[in-house]
Amino acid sequence: MASMEKRLQKELLALTKDPPVGVKVNTDAITKNLAEWTVDLEGAPGTVFEGENFQLQFKFGSRYPFDSPQVMFIGPNIPLHPHVYSNGHICLSILTDDWSPALSVQSVCLSVVSMLSSCKEKKRPPDNALYVKTCSKNPKKTRWWYHDDSV
Amino acid sequence: MSTDNSSKPAEASAGAASSNPGPSENGEDEKAAVYECNICLDTAHDAVVSMCGHLFCWPCLHQWLETRPQRQLCPVCKAGIGKDKVIPIYGRGNPNPQDPREKLPPRPSGQRPEPENTGGFPAFGFGDGGFQFSFGIGAFPFGIFTSSFNMSDNRPGPPQAGSPQHTEEQFLSRIFLWVAILFLFWLLIA
Repeated sequence: MASMEKRLQKELLALTKDPPVGVKVNTDAITKNLAEWTVDLEGAPGTVFEGENFQLQFKFGSRYPFDSPQVMFIGPNIPLHPHVYSNGHICLSILTDDWSPALSVQSVCLSVVSMLSSCKEKKRPPDNALYVKTCSKNPKKTRWWYHDDSV
Repeated sequence: MSTDNSSKPAEASAGAASSNPGPSENGEDEKAAVYECNICLDTAHDAVVSMCGHLFCWPCLHQWLETRPQRQLCPVCKAGIGKDKVIPIYGRGNPNPQDPREKLPPRPSGQRPEPENTGGFPAFGFGDGGFQFSFGIGAFPFGIFTSSFNMSDNRPGPPQAGSPQHTEEQFLSRIFLWVAILFLFWLLIA
């Protein structure tokens, strides 16, 4: 537990001191033990999400960084993207199978922004209705099938 | 870029590593960051470096390797990695360097306390008293002698003399001794 908080403390400091473009940690929404964060994302200029704002929620377990955080979109604006379900769940391999402890909140945010940026057509995943009806609340419990690297 | 360096890791290691101190505080900050573990983001202790050149604390890397034992990849570049594919690093400050891989990281290990003998029926405690009963094929008379007269060893010691368990076991072993003698006698006359 202590190592998780120590690392999150360092990440928070680095992210507030020197944030990447379009990524802003909402420091007011962070819980006392750093286990829950909210990050504000901006759609990158020149992409279909230009000018839009999104909220990304991070939940860290006590085994972080050896275990991946639980990451999903929250709030009123869930991006219309073929890998983002309408309940905010994201189909992104680094959030489960391809997680590595060398990844961080910053690298996850950049991956999500990059995933949004490579989108050409705003649409939901084809199985959105079924998935949203049947899935668990925790996106990490979903057995994701990563098949499409193009978007 | 701010010059706030409150988060700077241990000065000692940064000083040992740099022969010519950086011109600005920022430069020193970055220099120290070069020696940060890629997992805990702290200055690496018990440091090891992978074949692909990535630095870790051995306890951190060990925990990651334990997390996915069947898929051991470098956290930074996903190259193959393992206990025998990392090199320990010994700085000058350490007078008697010890391979960090030899001392496993401090972590709680599984415990298996021996079940306590509550002694429900001490009279039937065959295995753990001074008496042992065994069936088997062996050199016929000697097998009986060794098992009846407790000539084999490797058994827990008898209970303390004077305890009720001791007297009961003495009594039992005497009974079985007589049973064995009667059995031998019957064998002789039959």
